[in-house]
Amino acid sequence: MTQHEEQLELQAYLDGELDEARARAVAARLARDQQAASLLRELRLTRQALAAGEVVRPLPETREFYWSKIQRELDRLEAPATRPVRESFALRLRRFLLPASGVALVAGLGVAVARWHGAGYTGGTETALDDSGALTYHDYSAGATLVWVSYPAEEELAQDDEIGTVE
Amino acid sequence: MRPRHVPAGGLGWLAIALMFWAVAPSRAGAADLRFQAQLVWGTDDPKPPEGKNFKPVEGDIRQKLKDLPLRWGNYFEVSRTNFDVALASSRTVAISEKCALEVKSLGGTSIEVTSLSKGKEVMKRKQSLPKGEVFVLGGNAPNATAWLVILKRLE
Repeated sequence: MTQHEEQLELQAYLDGELDEARARAVAARLARDQQAASLLRELRLTRQALAAGEVVRPLPETREFYWSKIQRELDRLEAPATRPVRESFALRLRRFLLPASGVALVAGLGVAVARWHGAGYTGGTETALDDSGALTYHDYSAGATLVWVSYPAEEELAQDDEIGTVE
Repeated sequence: MRPRHVPAGGLGWLAIALMFWAVAPSRAGAADLRFQAQLVWGTDDPKPPEGKNFKPVEGDIRQKLKDLPLRWGNYFEVSRTNFDVALASSRTVAISEKCALEVKSLGGTSIEVTSLSKGKEVMKRKQSLPKGEVFVLGGNAPNATAWLVILKRLE
């Protein structure tokens, strides 16, 4: 038996944890071993000091309740994973309708605004039949579109009359 | 105060209804379009030609001509014609002895304008012309002057 084991045996002897045979053997060793007897006295004094100086700390909850909380937490962690809830048709429809209605709303407003401002032919199309050199100018703020054509040519007009095309 | 819950289905129906309203033919498009066509002479002279009783262009047309990149200082009204065009139909109006304008309603505010000179097609153009806006067709005339046909949407 090592020295450490002998010390633990002395502690157990002091605490009354040894059976009768081992307790007698330890008592015999204490009678002939002064060092062991001295250690026993020191252990006894230490236990007395601890018992006298220990502060009583009342627990906020009972021991049973404290351990039941731990048990409940263990039960919760060990419980099998619950099956995923199957989504109802209404829930899936709603999930589809929410973004779809948003897109439709924005598209509808866009078309409505475009119609309101009459943007059907915003860019306009032009067919210059006899003269492809027509110049187009659009002033959005003034609400005016100007198309400048070179027909009839000044020379041709000059042969007609003073303000040939306007009279 | 609890936020009011708006059902997604209701929002969807509202959006769909709005879509149908937006793409449906508008009531304004079904009505006749009313136009005013003016023949205008642009010049830097402060007065009209001798013997011509042309009146200076006034009102919003004068302002719109000023806003356009035209270099003439004075504009005189030679003639004026008001006319209606039914939906999906066309109307030809004489601007002068040689010049005529054909306007076709394409639905909504969209029109097709064809300029005719001596019965000959000079220009054809499709564009939007909302109420109050003007379409100006112009060209050079002798002595550094200009002729202008101004088409204004009245209704």
